Amino acid sequence: MLNRLKQYGIFVVFIIICLILSLISNQFFTVSNWTIIITQASINALLAFGVTFVIITGGIDLSLGSMVAVTGVTAAMLAHPDIYPVALPVFAGLISGLLMGVFNGFIITKSKIAPFIVTLGTMTIGRGLALILSKGRPVSNLSDSFNFIGGGDVFGIPFPIIVLILIFAICSITLKKTLLGRYIYAVGGNEQAARASGINVNQVKMAVYSISGLLAGLAGILLTSRITTGQPNAGAGFELDAIAAAVIGGTSTSGGTGTMTGTLVGVLLIGVINNGLDLLNVTSYYQQVVMGIIIIGAVVLDSWNQKSNG
Amino acid sequence: MAIDFIIILTMKNLYSILFISIFFFFSCNKSNKAENGSDKKIKVGVTMLSMQNEFIVNISDEMSKKAEELDVELITVDAEHQPLKQIEQVESFIAQKVDVIIMNPCEVEASSPAVTKALTAKIPIINVNSATTIQPTAFVGSNDVESGRIAMNFIAEKLGGKGNIVMIHGFMGQAAQIQREQGAKEILKKYPNLKLISHQTGEWDRAKSMDLMQNWIQSYGTKINAVFAQNDEMGLGALKALQDAGLKDKVIVVSIDAIADALQAVKKGTLDATVFQNAKQQGAGAIETAVKIVKGQPYEKELMIPFQLVTKENIGKFLK
Repeated sequence: MLNRLKQYGIFVVFIIICLILSLISNQFFTVSNWTIIITQASINALLAFGVTFVIITGGIDLSLGSMVAVTGVTAAMLAHPDIYPVALPVFAGLISGLLMGVFNGFIITKSKIAPFIVTLGTMTIGRGLALILSKGRPVSNLSDSFNFIGGGDVFGIPFPIIVLILIFAICSITLKKTLLGRYIYAVGGNEQAARASGINVNQVKMAVYSISGLLAGLAGILLTSRITTGQPNAGAGFELDAIAAAVIGGTSTSGGTGTMTGTLVGVLLIGVINNGLDLLNVTSYYQQVVMGIIIIGAVVLDSWNQKSNG
Repeated sequence: MAIDFIIILTMKNLYSILFISIFFFFSCNKSNKAENGSDKKIKVGVTMLSMQNEFIVNISDEMSKKAEELDVELITVDAEHQPLKQIEQVESFIAQKVDVIIMNPCEVEASSPAVTKALTAKIPIINVNSATTIQPTAFVGSNDVESGRIAMNFIAEKLGGKGNIVMIHGFMGQAAQIQREQGAKEILKKYPNLKLISHQTGEWDRAKSMDLMQNWIQSYGTKINAVFAQNDEMGLGALKALQDAGLKDKVIVVSIDAIADALQAVKKGTLDATVFQNAKQQGAGAIETAVKIVKGQPYEKELMIPFQLVTKENIGKFLK
């Protein structure tokens, strides 16, 4: 019940901000603008969904941005020149993301080192790998079929939006309806109790970091395809946006609580603010300040809401 | 050695063995290098701004090529955008007693102490690509203000001195961003009918700039006549957004650096122009200057490499 209310709180904030923006900019509330907002938010959404699983178990994943770079470069190298079917670069991108996620999970569960430290390490390793693979240069001239993933549309709906909806549905069901979902909450809520009740805590942790890596792989493919080039320095700082989205959406960094719907609202809120500030022509310097204020403000409002409702 | 083996044998952990063997591999490598380095080559220490930046990597590659040609030994390190790290690297070059130091400064002010340190240690130091406030022994590079002027001049000519322009900045406050903006604004002043309707940062990044352009298309639509992006990555991002919106034919896009992707785009006629900053001449020029200084030959204190406008007409010259 408390989760529900928390979710509504941020939803109200989101609607208020949308209303304000549509009052001051007449381009804001149009179909074409919303298509753009959601397409732009899709990459952050995939990362945020992945990190939501991780944060609910009480962990954190700082290597998201680097994984985006590694997987993007890997995919790009196989999508250029156009000799392999498009499935290969996509598959390679996903696998490289998954492997990095498994590596994170392996080190975290075997060594008992804090996830913050481990993923900080893999963040640097990943950036280095991306630079090594690409020799420090962007990989360009990708095949048309690969570029379709991020740039094409189906019945007028951009492909990234379709991916976003699909992944949201899968993640949401995984968290709400499956055994794994229940275990994830249990591990984050009280690790000792979860272990005592027979849950294999390490397996659950392995699973969340692997999912996070796999989704980062998908995000890397989307980004690479959208900008039609594999960039070794792409994705720097993406992890912060993803974590911000999850936290804005009500996922507690101490673990145990959070929903995919909340995270989705968080992602859209960040997307709407970015888009709105550009539409209103707010100077670059002020944009950063405004963004920070809105993030803090949204969470504060949300916690007030919770108290008054609870 | 014997003790090491015992340690390895007693450890059942595969990773420790792996780690130790890697360590041995590297230590062996190092000693090999030391043996080879005994002949008398000119030794040059190079610290680069960031090896994550394609243009800087190009300069570094050109330096290596020239060094090989002139039989110079290069020690190249990456300052990763951190002036403090760069100063420490120069200090270590001084300790290694290199013959010349080449520095690609991270920052105008903050990298200046490195120049002072090298000069006090009586080791000549050459700045490449960008400047420091303290005068080094020599400077090899280009004037970024000029590149902004060239790009904006092209837009002004194409639009006949009249129209609406948007500008995409690099990272705010970096030397290249400040100078390119300055150059562009100088030209804008001369054409009162050219209006800068909006300018935002794209942080040198293709994806960010693509998002920004999409948002601009939403708010200004067909009012935009030209885009000036302060580097090619951002220019190509804006170009992609315009192409997706079906507006490319109506909007002129110009950017700076002439990276490989941008040259291809100019050849295809999608990117209207880019400004060529000559990585080859900057890299090679720095090494040549270094050799001249060591051999006591006359050298230019300020070797300015000119920018060139690249359009569809002269693209052949720039494609290898």
